[in-house]
Amino acid sequence: MRSELDMIIGGVRPLERPEAAHSVKETSKGGEGTFTGELSKALGEVDKLQVDADQQAKMVAEGGGNLHEMSLALEKADISMRLAMKVRNKLVDAYNEIMRMSV
Amino acid sequence: MDFFTALRVSGSGLSAERTRVNLASSNLANAETTRGPDGQPYKRLDPVFQAVAMEGQGGPAAPGAEGAMGVEVSQVVADQTPGKRVYSPGHPDADADGFVTFPNVNPVNEVVNLLSASRGYEANATAVETLKQMAQRGLDISR
Repeated sequence: MRSELDMIIGGVRPLERPEAAHSVKETSKGGEGTFTGELSKALGEVDKLQVDADQQAKMVAEGGGNLHEMSLALEKADISMRLAMKVRNKLVDAYNEIMRMSV
Repeated sequence: MDFFTALRVSGSGLSAERTRVNLASSNLANAETTRGPDGQPYKRLDPVFQAVAMEGQGGPAAPGAEGAMGVEVSQVVADQTPGKRVYSPGHPDADADGFVTFPNVNPVNEVVNLLSASRGYEANATAVETLKQMAQRGLDISR
């Protein structure tokens, strides 16, 4: 009886962690080429365009710069911001979708 | 981003047309100027446009934008055609024979130039507007 139990318990091996789980864990640190890294790079780009638009507007307000350059900078900032918002909304949607999943 | 390449191209067009307006205004303002900084009568100024590649300016060229060319004013040339000479011995800028040389500016031509530059500016602004609408439409696809 005892030996049978031992045999059954011995047959239950610990679950091996799949390789994919390893790679996900390693890539989620936010380095180069990872999703987090790319995301923060893209956000940095959006931020740069916002700052650029700000500077252009400031220059025009101070009497320097020129109007269409300012408008174009504002336009760039607007488009990139909309794109960033779109990506954010998609991410939040995906997160909510996963959270709604019944386990 | 590819949209930004087109924005830069249109921006260069806007700058070029604004330069044209600047020069046309300068010509109009100086239509009767008989003495410039060099002591000579004013000569009408004309911009010379030149196409420039937009790659590598403000970020890498996006695929599909390699051939896009912007425009810049390569130089401003002074028109060397002689201006009209008017006999006016009492004028401080009269030459030894009593003739005053007026600028070679024809105000009618300059106003036509001004209109053309203004339309060109409008065309570039419309291109920007269209581009913006396209970008927004593209973002609206996955709403």
